[in-house]
Formats: sequence, C-alpha cells, structure tokens
Amino acid sequence: MRFIRRYNSATPRLIDSIVGTNIGARLMRVSLGLIVLTLIALPFADLAITTRDPWSELGRMFVGFITPNILATESPLHAVLLTVAFAFWGVALGILLGFPLALLFMRSRLVRVGCAFVRAIHELFWALLFLQVFGLSAITALAAIALPYAGIFAKVYAEILLQIDTAPQQTLPQGVDRLSRFLYTELPLAWARLASYTRYRFECALRASVLLGFVGLPTLGFHLESAFRQGRYHEAGALLWAFYLLIALLPFWAHRRLVPLWLLGTLFLLGPWPTVDGELLWRFLSVDIWPQPLLAGDFKGLALWFTQLPDLLPAIGNTLLLGLMSTAGSLVVCLLLWPLASRHFGQRATRWLGTGALIGLRSTPELLLAFIFLLLVGPSLLPAWLALSLHNGALIAFLAARHADQLKFGMPGLKGVNLYAYELMPRIYPGILALLFYRAEVIIRETALLGMLGVATLGFHIDSSFAYLMFDQAVALLLITALLNIGVDALSRRLRPDALAPTIERTCEG
Amino acid sequence: MRWLFALALTVASSTALADTFRFTAIPDEDEARLVERFDKVADYLSEQTGLDVEYIPVKSYAAAVSAFRNNQVQLAWFGGLTGVQARQLVPGSEAIAQGKEDAAFKTYFIANTATGIEPNEDALPEAIKDKSFTFGAKTSTSGRLMPEYYLRERFDEAPESIFSRVGFSDDHTRTMALVQAGTYDIGALNYTVWEAAVKDGRVDTDKVQVIWSTPTYPDYQWTIRGDVDQRYGEDTKAKVQKALLGMTDPDLLESFPRDGFIKASNDDYSPIEKVGKELGLLR
Repeated sequence: MRFIRRYNSATPRLIDSIVGTNIGARLMRVSLGLIVLTLIALPFADLAITTRDPWSELGRMFVGFITPNILATESPLHAVLLTVAFAFWGVALGILLGFPLALLFMRSRLVRVGCAFVRAIHELFWALLFLQVFGLSAITALAAIALPYAGIFAKVYAEILLQIDTAPQQTLPQGVDRLSRFLYTELPLAWARLASYTRYRFECALRASVLLGFVGLPTLGFHLESAFRQGRYHEAGALLWAFYLLIALLPFWAHRRLVPLWLLGTLFLLGPWPTVDGELLWRFLSVDIWPQPLLAGDFKGLALWFTQLPDLLPAIGNTLLLGLMSTAGSLVVCLLLWPLASRHFGQRATRWLGTGALIGLRSTPELLLAFIFLLLVGPSLLPAWLALSLHNGALIAFLAARHADQLKFGMPGLKGVNLYAYELMPRIYPGILALLFYRAEVIIRETALLGMLGVATLGFHIDSSFAYLMFDQAVALLLITALLNIGVDALSRRLRPDALAPTIERTCEG
Repeated sequence: MRWLFALALTVASSTALADTFRFTAIPDEDEARLVERFDKVADYLSEQTGLDVEYIPVKSYAAAVSAFRNNQVQLAWFGGLTGVQARQLVPGSEAIAQGKEDAAFKTYFIANTATGIEPNEDALPEAIKDKSFTFGAKTSTSGRLMPEYYLRERFDEAPESIFSRVGFSDDHTRTMALVQAGTYDIGALNYTVWEAAVKDGRVDTDKVQVIWSTPTYPDYQWTIRGDVDQRYGEDTKAKVQKALLGMTDPDLLESFPRDGFIKASNDDYSPIEKVGKELGLLR
C-alpha cells in the first residue's frame, strides 16, 4: 500500500515535467526533443571512420604545438595588428550602420527583413562576394565584417532598448524632442548592456578577422592556414598561441579607454586602398550575378538554368543534418565542460587549466579543428560534427561558467555532483539552452565552411560556384542558404522560451 | 579632422605605389616554395624590363583570377583552366609563354600502397572503384579537370559514382600528404610536383606510388593583360615576353620546375576550353 502510494505520488510529477506548462517542463521537452531527433537522424549521416596511418602526422602536429617557433612567420606582428585592425574597424562601421537601424528596427518590417538577410550569410561568403569587385583589400575585409554585424547590432541593440525602464520618459515635460528624449532617458539606461554586448561582438569579430585570412586577406589566418596546410607545425603552433593570447588578454589590451587609440593607430595599416573600377563594379552588379536567361527574358532558358544548379536536396539535407547534430553535440559538450572553468569546482590550478582549454577550443578556428579530425578519422561528416560540437560547446560552456560564477549559494554545504545537479544546473540551464538555440543559427552558417571535407553541404557548392566564376549560381545558392538560416532562426526563437530572453543577454556579457 | 587627415594620407600613399608592375600565380604548391620561386622571378623581371616588379601571393585559384580581373596584378602564372577563365573575363589578355613541359603536361594518379592497387601503364586499374579519392583544387587543370575527364572516359560515370568518396585537397602537395597518410586511398596530381618531391625525398614512396599517368595535354602559362602597354609604356608586353622566354638561369627554372619557357598563344588552350565546357566547369 505504501509502495503504491509512493508510486502514485511520483507519477504525476514525472508526467508533469514532460507535459506540464511550467518552464522546467518546456526546457525538458525541448532538450529531449533535440536529443531524440538527433538520434533518429544519426543513421542517415555518413560517419564512417576511414584512415590508415594518422599518428605520424598527428605526432608532428603535437610537437609543433608544444614547441612553437615564433620566428618562422615573416612578419607576425603585422599579421596580428591587421587582424586587430579589421576587427576594430569592422565593428566600428557595423555600429555606425547598425545603430540608426536599431532605432527603426521595431517599426519597420523592411529593416527587420533586411537585417535578417545580411545576418544570415557568413562573413566568409560576404568576403568572397566583395573579393570579386574590391580584390584583396581592406574594403573587402571591412565590408565583410561590417555588413553582417550591422544586421546583428540593429537587432540586438533594438532588443536591449526595448527592455529598458520607461518610467524616466514619463517624467519628461511635453514637447521634448525625440533626440533629447533618447539621449537623456534611454541611452544612459541601456548603455551598460549595449557596451557589454559590443565587447562580446568584438571578440567574435576577432575570430571572423582571423577566418578572413582563409580566403587570402593577410591576417593571422592567412599564415595559420598556409603553415597548417603545408605541415609547418612549429609555425602554426606559434600562430595559434599568439591568437590564444590575444583572446585571453582581451580585457587588458582592448580596454575601452584604449579604443580610440587603437582605431587611429590601426588606420594606417588598412591601406593601400584599391582603385575601384566603376565599370567592373557595374558589370558585376548588373550582369554577373543574374542568371543570363533572366536578363535575356528567355524563360525556357531559365528552366534549363535551374536544372544546372547542383543537387539542392542532398545539399540542404546535409546542411540541416550537420546543423542538428552539431547543436545537440554542443549541448552535450557544454554540459560536460562548463564546470571546468567555474569557481564552484576544483582548485585554482584545475580551473586555470580548464579555462585555458575552453579558450583554446573556442578560439581555434573550426576549419583547423575539422582538419585535425579529418586526419584522425578520415573524410566524412564525423570530423565536421566533432569540430562544430567542440567549438560551439566550449563557447557556450565558457559563458555558462561565467553565469554560474555570478550566482550565490541558496543551499550552503552542497559539493561536487550535488552542487552541479541540484543547485547550479537548475539555475543556469535556461540560459544554456537559450544560448544554444541562439548558436543554432551560427552553427548552420558554419556548416557551410566545412565543404573541404568532401561533405556536400550548401557551402561546398557555393565555394565551387565562386571557383568556377559562376557568380549568378553562387548568389542563387547564397539566397537559398540565407532563407534556410532565417527559417532555422525563426524555429529556434520559437523554441526558446520568451521568459529566458533577459538571461541570454546577461549570459552573453560574460 | 585628424581622421580626415589620416585618411587623406593613406589614400595619397597608396596612389604613389600605383605604378608597380605586379604579378601572381595560382597557389598550387607549398607557399614557402612559391614565395621563394616568385621573389626570385620578380627580381629577374625587374632587372630585365626596368619595371618595378612585385609578386603578390594569393590563397586560392579563384583569388588569382579575380586579382587579374581587378587589375591588381597585370601578369599571372596560371594553370590551363584558370588561364582560360581569366582570358574570358579580361578581353584582350594574352597567353605569352609556357614552360617547355607545359605543351605536353600529364597528371599522375597515385595510390596508398596499403590498398594493394598495382601500377598499370595502359589504363586506370579497375580496382580503384569504390575506393576514396581526392582531387586537388576545384579548378586545377592537372588536379581536377583532366583527371575527371579521363575518369569519365575510362568508366563512363561521374567520379561521385566511381568512388566511395570524393574530396578536394586544394593543392597538389596536400593531395600527396593525404594519400600518404591514408586519409584518401587515391589521388590525382600535377606530375612535376610529384617528381620534384620524389627527387627531394619529401614523399615516402613505400607508402604511396604512381598507378597511372594520363596522356598529355597543354597546361600552365604566363598570361598578361591587354592594357599593359597603355599603363606601363609601349612594348611592355613584348619586354615581359622576351624576359620570360630568355630565362636560362637553372636556379630560377628549377624552382618551377621547368626546363625553359617557349612561346604560347590563346589558341594553344582550346582543348582545355573544350573539356572545361564539357564538364560544366566553364560556360
């Protein structure tokens, strides 16, 4: 009898937590749904391990990493400074464009759609587009960062401004103009959060700036990619360490008081500016990026043009599959790793190592991680999956640890697993999940970069179209990618409980 | 105000440099080797033509073509297919010289020895079916275009159906490394890169070997923009061509590696254009 009663009393709670309407139940459903969906999709993914002798190469990689040679790169300082310059100026221009748009964001559907579109295309693809008209120049780099960032700033700034307290506005006398109202009652309240989000974005811009090296702009990534690709691992090791240090020491060298100095000082690095050939630019915009049959008004030809596009369905399928698997993978990685960097666990030494490892994982470009796994397990979806999960998982873990560190204990005396499971997890999990869904869109964009693994994602075909100089095809595929991203973003926003929105902002500040 | 001043300075300093004659090359090999090779070539061309010549390294085949199109470089060492692409985009540009070897270039198919595939002189071995395979860069003539052409000719199927997996390594040296590591079973690459690597001991021939060589086709060439005479003075094109054809220093030539340079014309590359169109890599 007693047994049955206990059984009865437990059942409703279990059911409650799955079908209930409280936030815990929603989080549980969403998390379980994600894991189950991934498990169902897994058999469709190509995860074969095919490799023969990776150890000698991996051994050399490891030796290079622990014995870096900083003198091997010809001008490492110039590469580092240029990386920083692109990040500073890219973010500055992004704010310049994005801030005014943020003020219109909630009122204009056109602005919202435009911002969603520019956000949905990866910086590297913007760079490939701008490369065609501005060549390998600072204009290409700055535009590739500033344009998508303007879209991101417009959206996030608008959301932050929406959440501020409106009480001070009510106290203003009538007839105060819009600008004064904004400057005196809105901006001061939002300032701290705007600034901290901008700081977080700057770190993202640094990573983007490194990535731009992969298409040929002479940032750290340029030398890193060549050294790595050609097996000069001592040099690659040194460049990686340089980048880790740059990220780890960010609070010191990128202090807000130093920002004007950096902006002014790095301006001279950006030249020489290319002479833009107006005729070329016009031809690119008016002819190159449009399907020829469309320009000729030949609709039969247009149908033929569509049939010449690469196989879209497998590409979209692979992109979504990899995105889904990597989102679930990131969640698992994050749950395992975040305690490593939190003050609630371990000692000073382990925390220091844990934080270092997380910085390493989130700062190492996904492409490099993927290449290491490519050597280890051979070409398939597997290296891409591992790379994206580790990179994004570590990024969320780092922010989750910062969030946990701000919490004060409700239940004193808890330690270890109990502290993790009963005190901290319930309080930070909503934030983790919100961040994860926010990252899902980023993950989808990143899947596009991993075409080099022989995985036919949309990004693989975009890269091919640029290589074959079929810009009309590239632009069409970019549009499809953008639509896919916007769809994923809308879905993940729907799954992300609204009540969690403020938590994301706070966690992002970490 | 300070900002405007700084901006003006930067703009002014960049226009002063505008009359340097620049060239690039498709990044088909180790960058260290390319930089070494082309810095020497830049010095040689400066000496011979009296122009201020500079080498601009690029990251991908497509970037080399777009730099040529944007007039950021006036001369380029292109592969067969990239040269055709570039001359389509820049009317008036001309192929002016090719290596002696380039009139009859070849692709080697290589295999990891653990696959047990034996070399065959007559045709691609049947045993390569269902193995994994890597091309070089997507628009490489010897690493993509011609190997795909001969694969289709031999098996009458697309590479994706012949092999279990098809990758793109992006350069010939990496193709060699990936097949040697067993990441891919089979690869196709530029024969001069393979032979230079064997000579220098940079490849372990116990682990990877050549299994078939394609028939010959035209490949690499120097292509120059049509408007150089207007910009750099009369006879610039002729002077550059003469300097290239007159290159005899074995040290310079060995870095390509070529025996010397001979005249070339746009028409020499019509077979490449034809195959490119057939495979849908060109329009």
